[in-house]
Amino acid sequence: MAKTQYYVPVGPIHPALKEPIRVEARVEGEKIVEVDVKRGFAHRGIEYMGMKRNAIQTLYLSERICGICSISHPYAFVVTAEKALGIEAPPRAQYIRTIIGELERIHSHILWLGVVAHEMGFDSLLFWTWKGRERLLDILELLTGNRINYSVFMIGGVRRDIKESHVKAIKDMISYYRIFNEEMKEVFLSDPVYKARTRGVAQLSKKMALELNAVGPVARAAGVRMDIRQDIPYDAYADIDVRAVVPQDIVGEARGDAYDITMVRLYEIDQSLDIIEYCLDEMPEGKLMAIPNYVALLAKIRRTQGEAIGAHEAPRGEVIHYIKFDGKRDGPSVWKVIAPSYNNINTWAPLLLGAEVADIPIVVAYIDPCMCCNDRIAVVRDEDGRVIDPATLHRKAVEKTRKLREELGVRT
Amino acid sequence: MKEPMSVEEVLKKLQEALGEALLSHEVREYTMGVKRKRTYRELWITIKPDAFRKTVEAIFALDYPHLHFIAGEDGGGETITMIYSFGVFHTHPWGELSITVKFDLPKENLVLPTITDLMIGAETNEREIREMLGVEFEGLKNKRHLFLPDDWPEGKYPWRRDEHGVEDMVKHTHRSVNEIRKMRGEE
Repeated sequence: MAKTQYYVPVGPIHPALKEPIRVEARVEGEKIVEVDVKRGFAHRGIEYMGMKRNAIQTLYLSERICGICSISHPYAFVVTAEKALGIEAPPRAQYIRTIIGELERIHSHILWLGVVAHEMGFDSLLFWTWKGRERLLDILELLTGNRINYSVFMIGGVRRDIKESHVKAIKDMISYYRIFNEEMKEVFLSDPVYKARTRGVAQLSKKMALELNAVGPVARAAGVRMDIRQDIPYDAYADIDVRAVVPQDIVGEARGDAYDITMVRLYEIDQSLDIIEYCLDEMPEGKLMAIPNYVALLAKIRRTQGEAIGAHEAPRGEVIHYIKFDGKRDGPSVWKVIAPSYNNINTWAPLLLGAEVADIPIVVAYIDPCMCCNDRIAVVRDEDGRVIDPATLHRKAVEKTRKLREELGVRT
Repeated sequence: MKEPMSVEEVLKKLQEALGEALLSHEVREYTMGVKRKRTYRELWITIKPDAFRKTVEAIFALDYPHLHFIAGEDGGGETITMIYSFGVFHTHPWGELSITVKFDLPKENLVLPTITDLMIGAETNEREIREMLGVEFEGLKNKRHLFLPDDWPEGKYPWRRDEHGVEDMVKHTHRSVNEIRKMRGEE
């Protein structure tokens, strides 16, 4: 008797997949025999919008591309724009950028660990990791004033300094995460149930990773020693010998499965803490912006004809921007953005083929998918259900940051 | 992964492979770092469009590359400038060499050979360029829309700055339920 095939659609709205993407699987019994991935449910045309704005507006637009790593795209944008314009950010600004970039990596990795635990049904682990992550978000809010969309980078520098009074709070945070990360390693890597659910699941070979153009922790877990911070160093990374974290250095072999990717992320948190510590100790004095006057900066952009490619190693993998200034406008005439998930989603179809239905959530979550084209709009209401206007929202945010500073004992 | 070569060696190999088809080249230098300043170099080449496949094969012969992106620029004239960016010798500290290939494709003949047979991961890039700029890729198996809706009108390309652009995009992307029903002949 011929087996009956069933069709299982996952997404765009589905408990296992909270992103606007659709995985269509055809199954025979428990086995997946055909997969199709559909994207583009909320394509915002951000590149198109950026080509209509000036470069500073486009920089803050790029921050809105990703909802979690809001510094990854601005980082790649400023690196690219500086290359195209021939500007060099002041040394202190370069160190501050690196510190914020690494803080972002830690919170993104912890977020992923929570998400993957949730996908497996360990919700207590989700709450525990996300509670641990809060301390880092507090530090980011302390440094920038915001928990997300920090608006702190600028073409040729940064807009806010890390003051002496902040350093103690950051160092306290580092010692907290050194202990917390050891606990996380113990819980995730030694737990027999977690091991059973992830060993051999979503297994990506080195050859497949290269052919599918995988980037970031996905490629590194498969044993490909690639990392933008190591291959094309920029800012303070050029002073530190950052080496890609690969499983073969930790346990001697790379299997490229969901367990290895957890391991890579956990060890990268340690690496990020080391980088932040180094940057805090070695941070040079000096100004924060190469061209502090925005009008002068835009005038320079209007006079510049040039193009450049820049990259930043975001928590999920490399973010690549291409910018062209045509010398007629003060914004980019061409702007191309490649986010890590753009490449990493390619790995879903080959990995799901032949897998079991129960593995769909893990395979989907293991690359840390971020559609980067989610059409995000937020409406905030007060207790009575009235929409809060932007001015009130801003005032409330400032009040909250002040309260946080008092609690942490930091003066501005 | 192969051992890194210098920009000059790579350029020599590309010149040998392409000959006259390599129209121009540029080595761009950037200084990186604060305390330890080092120079990072990139290679930008302009080629004849018919030598595209040969160029890609020459790059693949150097080292299995990492495809950064495929981009295209329509200035509104007779051609579309295609930009392919590859990274070779990644996995080596300070070793990655970015090779950017640029060429002008005439709008009457917007056809390029696919590179998905060499690198499956290039499929998404090619599908995006196909729907956004209208470049046809010979040999590309999956030609479905990537980001645009399935009912997107034929011959409209969002990144084009000529008559094929999207002046009336709003009209096309926000069809009402009644319009869709009418199209399907349900009313």
